[in-house]
Amino acid sequence: MIEDDFLLTDWGLYVHIPFCQARCTYCDFNTVTHMGVDDHQSYMDALAAEWERAILPSGRLISVFFGGGTPSLVDPSLIGRFLDVVRERVREFGPDVEVTLEANPGTVTREHFVKLRQVGVNRLSIGAQAMQESHLKALNRIHGVTDIRRAVSDARDAGFDNVSLDAIYGLPAQSFAEWQETLTELLKLKPDHLSLYRLQVEEGTPLADGVRKGTLIMPDDDRMADMADFAEATLDDRGFVHYEISNWSRPGFDSRHNQLYWTLNSYLGLGAGAHSYHEGRRWWNYRGVRRYIETQRAGEPALDDGEILSHLEQMREYVWLGLRRQRGVNRERFHTKFHEHLDEVFETTVAELTDLGLVESQDAILKLTGRGRDLANTVFRKFMAEVAP
Amino acid sequence: MSAISCQCDGGSYLEPERIRNFSIIAHIDHGKSTLADRLIESTGALTHREMTAQVLDSMDLERERGITIKAQAVRLDYEYDGQSVEMNLIDTPGHVDFTYEVSRALQACEGAILVVDAAQGVQAQTLANLYMALEHDLAIIPVINKIDLPNADPERVIEELVEIGLDGTEAILVSAKQGIGIEAVLRAVVQRVPSPKGDGTAPLRALIFDSRFDSYKGVLVYIRVIDGELKVGDTVRFMATEKEFAVTEMGVFRPHLTAIDRLSSGEVGYFAAAIKTVQDTRVGDTVTNAQRPAPAALPGYRPAQPMVFSGLYPVDSQDYGRLREALEKLQLNDASLTFEPETSVALGFGFRAGFLGLLHLEVIQERLEREYDLSLITTAPNVVYQVTMVDKTILRVDNPALMPTPGDIVSIEEPMVDASIITPTDYIGAVMELCQERRGTFRDLSYMDPKRAMIQYRLPLGEIMYDFFDQLKSRTRGYASFDYHLVGLEAADLVRMDILLNGQIVDALSVIVHRDRAYYRGKALAEKLRELIPRQMFEVPIQAAIGSRVVARETVRAMRKDVLSKCYGGDITRKRKLLEKQKEGKKRMKSVGNVEIPQEAFMAILRVDDPS
Repeated sequence: MIEDDFLLTDWGLYVHIPFCQARCTYCDFNTVTHMGVDDHQSYMDALAAEWERAILPSGRLISVFFGGGTPSLVDPSLIGRFLDVVRERVREFGPDVEVTLEANPGTVTREHFVKLRQVGVNRLSIGAQAMQESHLKALNRIHGVTDIRRAVSDARDAGFDNVSLDAIYGLPAQSFAEWQETLTELLKLKPDHLSLYRLQVEEGTPLADGVRKGTLIMPDDDRMADMADFAEATLDDRGFVHYEISNWSRPGFDSRHNQLYWTLNSYLGLGAGAHSYHEGRRWWNYRGVRRYIETQRAGEPALDDGEILSHLEQMREYVWLGLRRQRGVNRERFHTKFHEHLDEVFETTVAELTDLGLVESQDAILKLTGRGRDLANTVFRKFMAEVAP
Repeated sequence: MSAISCQCDGGSYLEPERIRNFSIIAHIDHGKSTLADRLIESTGALTHREMTAQVLDSMDLERERGITIKAQAVRLDYEYDGQSVEMNLIDTPGHVDFTYEVSRALQACEGAILVVDAAQGVQAQTLANLYMALEHDLAIIPVINKIDLPNADPERVIEELVEIGLDGTEAILVSAKQGIGIEAVLRAVVQRVPSPKGDGTAPLRALIFDSRFDSYKGVLVYIRVIDGELKVGDTVRFMATEKEFAVTEMGVFRPHLTAIDRLSSGEVGYFAAAIKTVQDTRVGDTVTNAQRPAPAALPGYRPAQPMVFSGLYPVDSQDYGRLREALEKLQLNDASLTFEPETSVALGFGFRAGFLGLLHLEVIQERLEREYDLSLITTAPNVVYQVTMVDKTILRVDNPALMPTPGDIVSIEEPMVDASIITPTDYIGAVMELCQERRGTFRDLSYMDPKRAMIQYRLPLGEIMYDFFDQLKSRTRGYASFDYHLVGLEAADLVRMDILLNGQIVDALSVIVHRDRAYYRGKALAEKLRELIPRQMFEVPIQAAIGSRVVARETVRAMRKDVLSKCYGGDITRKRKLLEKQKEGKKRMKSVGNVEIPQEAFMAILRVDDPS
């Protein structure tokens, strides 16, 4: 049914906070270390300035997401002031708007969480990553295992009833037993939501260096697959819903923000390097933090570059992004959005994938099978355009 | 015009007594090109500023690899005791693949400088080149190069020279790098190399020792005039190809092409005659005057005979036309490259190309990829087999996939080589073991000196192609040197081994192997393929089979996960580009019966380690 999903016009706001105390070995996101509280202040002012000038989509704002970097490094009062500025332009900003903030366990206290709750943050995404001191240290995380436990308990005490935990599997030299331990220990903290990522080795990171030099040994494909299968089975057993390829939640706790990306709903990204999408257009800001602050102070756009998707490209993306969700792609919704029939546009692809047992249809819904979820990239690539070499 | 010395611009006519034609021969890396550069520099053919390192290796690839692929020539004007002498240095290719080209270049000379490294001493190619020079009755000037090296041992090298039948007292000590002994070499060339003997009044006979395609002038034919003379405007005939052309330009190499209007008996130069392809100007052929033809050609010509064959396929089937054009262009300049269209079930449309040897293959492959920007799949190289069929017909099989079924075959013959390996005595056992493994027949063992021995084996050429040289180097810690020459065909118990993926024969992976070694080769190849073929959606059985008998089996297990779980904070563009790139990567694989095979897999047979 369409009704229980977002409206086509619902949109989200992504706010990028680039500050970190230290850079994790695997991270290739747009982050900066060694910036002070003064910089936080001017950066938050710049965000407000960008927001003031932004052209807003006409639908309902249903999610605000502070991502990073380490948003929890910024003083809660600055977050609060920014949310006030947001509310000035969005009249229907009720308590049902999902307001998520990413928190690093090494940067937070109970008071911190209390304040965040007070200024309107209603969902926390806590980056745990692993439950062994050795792995946390190897990843250059700034916290230990006890910090993770304490952060979750503080969040609960502060009144957060929607807490998500992040964990990474496939760490260098990580054993299957260690991953079992990580997941089991995290479940003991009773999260409402879990994001489980397989570690990606990104060029230019210390992790990539170590792998190239052979000082860091990545687990082989089979061990990685065992880890993923273990998570799948365990979380299913505990009643979690695998609502998106890397995300699980207790029923009703699926993240709205997470899913807006996959439905081609509009999202506005504010901040250095932030990405936005609206009606077939994607664009992104400069990555440089100082430059971002200065352009906003000067009232200039922070736009770096963008792309315009053709009607066909939008349809392609709508399908393969939508297939990330457990609920799949709704053919009626596809037709409402594009005035074309999904099965006509992608007739051969859908038939081929169905034959291969990677996708299945249930009435109006096209979704990945269990095997399709394991081989999601294989499925997605089928929806890619042929690109010239 | 008299034949008396006349130094006029644009040409000079010298008495043959004042001409010296010589070549430099050496084992690889013994400093042949550096010495040539010094000779050019010190006779002023080029100023120091004009010298780029190693002038004669003019192709980028040649300079990078430190090898000479094409023969080249340069004319040096040298003052000897107040008289000017014309010295023609003909550089020879330095690799066993080009043995025939070397022999033609030597035929154009009366003398040869034999360069030997003062530290390494006499090596296998030193000997092979020396014997070839002696076959052509050339005067030999032994030069011991690199005497500046700390580990140089000229005394020992002189002893080795004596051991191989040269006069050790004639050896000149040189450091080409530091310019030591260059003058002595030049004087020795004048003193010891005989002047050319030819009949200036007889009908023209000129030997083609190389040719090169020029976009403006057509083919430049490099010749040594033996008898008679050649003038601009003459109509020449190539005696082997029987083609005739009118000469439009001729000249000498200084080393830049310098036009003159006549080339006489004893001289070395080039001519152009609006010739469109080097196929008409075969190395070794004789040029004569069409109006006054010579009764007989010069001896020794044979058509270029490719020894090694490989399938060349464009990764992107749309590049087939471009590949053909590129091969045609390379062929303009390389008469020994052959190719004809071929179709493979696995690889689609491509070409079966013939090469003089493995190095030639590698060079052509690299030039296609670099200069013509082609992405290629090259199948494992193979030799050409002569197959006698039950019905008495004889087939030449240059593609393993086309080997007839055993029931139709009486016998299969394969090309054999006689190989000479010079090694420190410590490694004699290791070398012999390697040769035995490669189905070699022992022929001789002799000692160069107390520490070094020469081992001679007869080996199948096909066996040398499976990393023989690398194995030889690794088993002798790099000390052994190796040279070989073809000696004909021998019958052997050979069989075709097919590789099946998912039950389907992949024709481009078929190989010809000796029956006794089929089991081992099949097992090693299947294991290698298991490593090289990425996991697919389904389990892929790999089988090596002779006829219907499976000799080895491996399995590529099904891919378990192919999923990108990281969320790039709304950066869908990046996520999409990553997937598009992967899709592009998949396109570069060849799909056979639902199995995607990466390029490297088709060369897998070459990377199979032999038992040791």
